[in-house]
Amino acid sequence: MRQDCLILFRSLTFAQRAAHVLERGGITATVRKAPQGLTDRGCTYCVRLRANRLNAALALLDQRGTEHGKVFLAREDGGWQEVRP
Amino acid sequence: MIYLDSAATSFLKPPAVRHAVLGAMQHMTSPGRGGHRLAMAAAETVYRCRQEAAALFRMEDPSRVVFTLNATHALNIAIRSLIKPGDAVVISCWEHNAVTRPLHALGAKVRVARGRLFDPESVLDAFRKALPGSKAAVCTHVSNVFGFVLPIGEIAALCYDAGVPLIVDAAQSAGVLDVDMTQLRAAFLAMPGHKGLLGPQGTGLLLCGADGAPLLYGGTGSNSREQIMPETLPDRHEAGTHNVPGIAGLAAGLEFVAPRRARIEAIDQDRLRQLIAGLRRIDDLELFYDPEGRSQCGVLSLRSRSVDCETLASRLADRGVAVRGGLHCAPLAHESGGTLETGTVRLSLSPFLSPREIDGAAAIMRDICTKKD
Repeated sequence: MRQDCLILFRSLTFAQRAAHVLERGGITATVRKAPQGLTDRGCTYCVRLRANRLNAALALLDQRGTEHGKVFLAREDGGWQEVRP
Repeated sequence: MIYLDSAATSFLKPPAVRHAVLGAMQHMTSPGRGGHRLAMAAAETVYRCRQEAAALFRMEDPSRVVFTLNATHALNIAIRSLIKPGDAVVISCWEHNAVTRPLHALGAKVRVARGRLFDPESVLDAFRKALPGSKAAVCTHVSNVFGFVLPIGEIAALCYDAGVPLIVDAAQSAGVLDVDMTQLRAAFLAMPGHKGLLGPQGTGLLLCGADGAPLLYGGTGSNSREQIMPETLPDRHEAGTHNVPGIAGLAAGLEFVAPRRARIEAIDQDRLRQLIAGLRRIDDLELFYDPEGRSQCGVLSLRSRSVDCETLASRLADRGVAVRGGLHCAPLAHESGGTLETGTVRLSLSPFLSPREIDGAAAIMRDICTKKD
């Protein structure tokens, strides 16, 4: 079964920048509003991608100096579980 | 109409600009608010515009491209970010009121670096002398009154070596001359969207080498629980809803200009030479131009020996030639050029003007100036 994950960012523009970095690196990622409750700062944005590309995605973002926030894996009940890759 | 007022607002624009404005009104709402299709379409367009601007002005990070209402708004953010009341600030003697009025309102101690018209070395010398002990410097790239191209690369290097942050006003140069933020290492680069970048009125850009302080406070669609403005760019300087139709149009303008920038500069120089050649033998006119043709761009100022500049501008308008008369919101530049009491008639160029239109405008001017009332 396909499992998705989310990478949080501090703003929409940061999420968009990350999505472009990932797309150029061959990783499909879509910019979304982040589910409420994943951050204590209020509204924010994330990129959503396949969980099996997460490590490659994080490596690419680090390589390009693209700052990111927390990372979450989709749970079977529809919620999100924070992970520390 | 022969439109020679592009230094105020470019009127001739690629059709893609108006199509983009209309498309945004039909298919987009606002970025950073909802997550639905209309909001995300707006977000994509806004980000694409940031990318286009970052590429044209050679900034690696599109998130350091901030949208403003115009160059004046961008300059106000930059000036308020770097300068506090009582700070010593160096400016060129060719600055617009968009620079001098915010500094006056702040109570900054303004040091004017005075150089001669069309003499870049004299401007550079003046900056060299004025910079020590200054908190910041503000310099226009091209005078909006005379089209004088200041040696901004050399001034930026002086500022960088002296540790003085520089704000560059690229109102007249953006989209025409090569402006390289990486080389300039400026704290801020401010520009309008509606002149050389061929976007709609109500758009502007601030390219941020420094982070700066917010001028406006409000919603950004990010960090909503916090009562302080986000520290990250561009949100820090973009409170409130974006002008998405304007930004979409600006993106189309940037997409038109970017691959043609060098060609636009070459056309500008050709038309300027042609305009000067067509007007210089009219006895009634005093032209302000660089005889060596090396430090002028986009603008030719002149005045009549027999009528005031507003009357001449009005007569040209009656004959279908759009120009601007007066002080062009830059009394300091007029003081420096010796035209404060008279003002000038300003003729400004566009890449869409044909040689025939330039000849036509010169012929109408000759006719007006030789006609006895």
